[in-house]
Amino acid sequence: MLAGVASGDEAAFAELYQATSAKLLGVALRILRNREVAEEVVQEAYFKVWERAGDYKPEIAAPVTWMAAIVRNRALDEVRRRVIRPTADENELDNLESGDEHPIAALERAEDVERLMRCLDGLEPEKKQMVKLAYLDGMSREALAKRFDRPEGTIKTWLHRSLAQLRGCLEQ
Amino acid sequence: MTELDDIDGLAAEYVLGTLSLEERQAVSERRAGDAALDRAIAAWERRLGPMIETVTPVAPSPNLYSKIRAQIGLAQHVVSLKAREQALARRANRWRNAFIGASALAACAVGILGYREVNYRQEATQYVAVLQSENKLPAFLMTIDTRTHNCVITAVNAPRQFDRIYQVWMLHEKMPKPKSLGMMNEGEMNVMPMAPGPETDMLMNASFAVSLEPMGGSPTGAPTGPVLFTGKLVQATP
Repeated sequence: MLAGVASGDEAAFAELYQATSAKLLGVALRILRNREVAEEVVQEAYFKVWERAGDYKPEIAAPVTWMAAIVRNRALDEVRRRVIRPTADENELDNLESGDEHPIAALERAEDVERLMRCLDGLEPEKKQMVKLAYLDGMSREALAKRFDRPEGTIKTWLHRSLAQLRGCLEQ
Repeated sequence: MTELDDIDGLAAEYVLGTLSLEERQAVSERRAGDAALDRAIAAWERRLGPMIETVTPVAPSPNLYSKIRAQIGLAQHVVSLKAREQALARRANRWRNAFIGASALAACAVGILGYREVNYRQEATQYVAVLQSENKLPAFLMTIDTRTHNCVITAVNAPRQFDRIYQVWMLHEKMPKPKSLGMMNEGEMNVMPMAPGPETDMLMNASFAVSLEPMGGSPTGAPTGPVLFTGKLVQATP
């Protein structure tokens, strides 16, 4: 599909949008908590995808992973750059714990998702929560330090250890 | 479990999203020229990427796709504009080369100007101005068709206003003050039917600006609110 987009195929682009936009908006909203800003970020991401689809390397990442990285980078820059007022609906996302999902959904998950979840479960509960708050909700070291009531230096050490442990587990 | 080295640690935290804005900017600048860092980032994106599987999808607004298409269409206009300008410059060069030796340089320069004028008049029919604030998405698009003399301003990405209205202005060095082209908040607005002539030529050199005014428009006849978006006309299609 991305190959089609790279050659300027509009039908392929529409199809790609259909298949990925709701997930990408979900990703942006979790970080930004503001619908208008999140849609702007998603819009810019698709524009970038259209322009740069030729850079996409299938051997390095799945398409949605590549696109999600573009969306996350833009969303993280935006949320670090300025104070964004959360819109009402998006505040409720706080109550949305992503860990509990329907068992059937869990069964259908791809192998790489399964492996990552298993490795995350191998972290101490607090560290696992920290990794998820950072990756999914866009919490900075500073925000995590407040949330867990620890100095930033400690948070950094914990994060690096957790990430090293994850890498070790994923490479097994 | 092995420790992360410096590059891997930096890449991991960049992807995890815990770096400050300054650190993020430093990493994104550095990765362009640092293949090892770039590879490390890609590897962490691959490792952590599957986590988005747990994010609840949210349906975008119905008009998001058309906004994206509009932005792409616009970029293509600009690309084709550049290509056209280059083609035009090449033709002008050919013409000048044919002329060199036969006439003085000054005459040649006048000739080129005349040539360009004629060329634009014959071929150019549509001009576009993108009204935007710096580095942001286009807020308004203004298109002028020099054959039909139609001028349309379309709101593409202007943030919704509830108690104020956008007013569009034309500015030109030969005009004592900005001229109001009209007010709008969304959709499309048709501006004056343009008669061909000096007014048309002035339009091509004018700047356009959008200010935020009280409902009913600027009380003074000149922009009173913040000027949010500006732009100039560029040739879009033959």
